[in-house]
Amino acid sequence: MSYQRRIMKELERLKTAPPNSHITLVEANDLETWQIDLEVNNDNPLYTGKTFRLQFIIGPNYPVESPQVQFMPLPARPIPIHPHIYSNGHICLDILGDEWTPVQTVASVCISLQSMLGSNDRDERPPDDERYIKHAPKNPKQTRFVYHDDTV
Amino acid sequence: MKVKIKQWNAVSVWQWDVPNDEVCGICRVPFDGVCPVCKYPGDDCPLIIGKCAHSFHLHCLLKWLETETSKGLCPMCRQPFETADDAQQQQQVEETQRLHHHHRRTSEV
Repeated sequence: MSYQRRIMKELERLKTAPPNSHITLVEANDLETWQIDLEVNNDNPLYTGKTFRLQFIIGPNYPVESPQVQFMPLPARPIPIHPHIYSNGHICLDILGDEWTPVQTVASVCISLQSMLGSNDRDERPPDDERYIKHAPKNPKQTRFVYHDDTV
Repeated sequence: MKVKIKQWNAVSVWQWDVPNDEVCGICRVPFDGVCPVCKYPGDDCPLIIGKCAHSFHLHCLLKWLETETSKGLCPMCRQPFETADDAQQQQQVEETQRLHHHHRRTSEV
């Protein structure tokens, strides 16, 4: 893990100075797997009062390669209903795949997800949810998502 | 009083010609420091400045450009990454071609 110093800096900053009060680092026992609680920072009725759990897996080539990011289902931590979020927690978001660049950070990804939820008004799962979760790989990065809908 | 200098040591400092507070966007280490693989700053671990005015440690940027996801783009602005030198060279080449062209035209007349 050659970028260990950057990862440690990111972790430290997320602990002591998160981007806003709705992003909370819950656990990062090692530098590899981070659990983060996320809430929307507006009053979108679809998500207010709910807390969601994100899991980041920081691979050995981070930040040259994107982290593996997904929502985790836990008691009191549902998977947010969103047309780009599958019920297994996988997220179809371009910056987590094709549009990743190494200047992005765990914090900036959290902010993107926060605004993706905050701006959504469709109370629905992706149209192919049932089919996808049946055959989904464990690692969402192995899915070739097609980013076909930029309106959400 | 006469002073005789018997011995002296020269000391100098250097820094890259970039704003002081800037860090490499890829490794987040100040430009005057090294990329994660290097030990000594300076010529061993140079900076690369893009035509888009974004700079990185050369080694950090190369790692990124080697990936398929990079599509050869600057991590900051997603413009095709060209070094400032490339752009200058390209300009020089065009200049020369224009001169050459002009020269040919005049000699044909």
